[in-house]
Amino acid sequence: MSLDTSARAYWREEFSLIALLLLFFIAIVAFAYTLPFDARLFPLIIGCAGIALTLAVAVEQMRRRRAGAAAVVDADDPATRADWPRYATALLSAPAFGLLFWLFGFIIASFAAMMLIPLLMGYADRRRLVVMAAITVAVLAVIGPYLLNVELPQGVVGEWLIDKLALRAG
Amino acid sequence: MLDHLILGLTAALQFKQFMFMIAGTVIGLWVGVLPGLGGPVAMAILIPFTFSMDPLSALLMLASISVGAAFGGSVTSILLNIPGEASSAATAYDGYPMAQQGKAKVAMGLSAGASLAAAIVGVLILMFASGPVAKAALAFSPAEYFALAILGLTVVSVAALGSTIKGLAMGALGLAISLIGIDSILGAERYTFGFVYLLDGISFVPVMVGLFAVTELISMILEGGTIAKAGKLEGSLWDGFRDTFRYPFTLIQSTAVGAFLGMIPGIGATAANFLAYSVAQRSSKHPERFGKGAPEGIIAPEASNNSCIPTSLIPALTLGIPGGATSAILLVAVTLQGLRPGPMLFTSNPELIWGFFMGLLIGAVMATILYLIMIPWFALITIVRIELMAPMLLIVTLFGAYANERNMMDVFVAIFFGLFGYFLRRHGYPLISLVIGLILGKLAEGSFHQALMISDHDYSVFFLRPLSASIFALCLVLVLWPSVKKRLGHGGAEVT
Repeated sequence: MSLDTSARAYWREEFSLIALLLLFFIAIVAFAYTLPFDARLFPLIIGCAGIALTLAVAVEQMRRRRAGAAAVVDADDPATRADWPRYATALLSAPAFGLLFWLFGFIIASFAAMMLIPLLMGYADRRRLVVMAAITVAVLAVIGPYLLNVELPQGVVGEWLIDKLALRAG
Repeated sequence: MLDHLILGLTAALQFKQFMFMIAGTVIGLWVGVLPGLGGPVAMAILIPFTFSMDPLSALLMLASISVGAAFGGSVTSILLNIPGEASSAATAYDGYPMAQQGKAKVAMGLSAGASLAAAIVGVLILMFASGPVAKAALAFSPAEYFALAILGLTVVSVAALGSTIKGLAMGALGLAISLIGIDSILGAERYTFGFVYLLDGISFVPVMVGLFAVTELISMILEGGTIAKAGKLEGSLWDGFRDTFRYPFTLIQSTAVGAFLGMIPGIGATAANFLAYSVAQRSSKHPERFGKGAPEGIIAPEASNNSCIPTSLIPALTLGIPGGATSAILLVAVTLQGLRPGPMLFTSNPELIWGFFMGLLIGAVMATILYLIMIPWFALITIVRIELMAPMLLIVTLFGAYANERNMMDVFVAIFFGLFGYFLRRHGYPLISLVIGLILGKLAEGSFHQALMISDHDYSVFFLRPLSASIFALCLVLVLWPSVKKRLGHGGAEVT
């Protein structure tokens, strides 16, 4: 990615963040109006302060942008240097793991994460990967329920399958 | 006082507490060695696992992680010129040149000696200063508490790197997020939109896990490769340890700088680290030796960051105002154990408080011993490939978020804050201000309403009471000072 494109992406992200913050604070103020006086007083103060501060951030950033747009991009920033598959892996690993965790439970999600993330990051030693994944999942499967007293969730699909196949103990 | 010391010692010396401290210190040393994955990240990951522990064990384990990380952070600074912790960055200035001269073990001995001495002094200051501060805090009215909450938020936002306005905006965001749920005054539902999950508000744990751990993981995946190549260990650790005490002036001066800065919310160990280095260089008879492997250049930053950590707990424990990430997480741990930080904690739970203080003291000695024993092993962690480490950390992190309340929503909240936090951090928004706003939200709103109730809804109560008025004036000065200074500087430049 050229520095100019990176700078444009940077400013797009910056102003998207500002817009998101502004929307959030406006929502805080707007939804406070239906509340009783004592419950809405503090949200109104915080919401209005938030709007003012976000607008101040916007003004500050606009000034910076006019002063020199390209200077904001750090050439050492890993996000600037990373290619799109690496960038997508970084941003989507956690949401994908969360989705798998919810759907198929902890064991399957963990095994999938241990197998897929290193491969997507370019790790080539598959045999070592399988061993590492198996050890990690096995250790967590023991630590969770037996040491921390946390039952590992089976996931929505897992629970459905257990019920469908009548596999539930007792 | 003696009764309290004995009470604390008895509580801290139980086998169980001892084991938790060892575990915390080892984890702390390990994460301290890993650049980027600092003490607060490890504390955030492990906080959900402390629920089943008793309060003292939980606090001691988390505090030991922080102490261990401060010790461990110097290993890679010295061996590889890569600070394991931001608070050990200045250690690399002289530690790495010393390692290049073949005196890596001497440098680490110096670091261990300075860290131990300073950590002990820091804990002693915490022990003896907390009581008087807590007593003084009993005289505070809700107006002062509200003012202090705003001061805490302001100092953190102003002290954070980058834009002050962004820091303040993050503080407001944290406060706004804390408004979600049932309000404490009238019991009205706010911003829940019918979701049962939101009735109790957004839990601290998934937010912490997201902001500290998931954001760091995203950066790690983007970076890839290995953290570092293995370093060499030469020279004698003991020589370095002994040499520390041949520079008493630097040791005392830097410990004092760190201890003082620790007590001010928002300054933190990183600033103390650099400031102590610069003060030591300026006051040295041989400033030209700094940067080329001067022992004082290692003693100063290490003494300051290790004395800063215990004293940063003074405002957190006595007033409920966290000064930085470490004390914010410890404060969350205290709250999650069903305790309320503040002056009453000292009278209602003396065994916990004094046990914690004594535990910190024992922990400092333990961290030194473990540091000296385990240095070669910890350095090897830096050559583990991130491709393998990142998914493991992701799994443990999000499992921790789930284990908090056994609720899948917490996992999604952690992921959301992780992604959001990544972009905020990339654009220079200080995440610590958001966290502190979230923690202080309930205290700020509660004391705001109490002050208004007491004064019969007279808003001037915040500005007519001398103490709260002074605190608000200080907030104003802190916010305006950078621009005033800039203008004065600019004006001066024009005149010349």
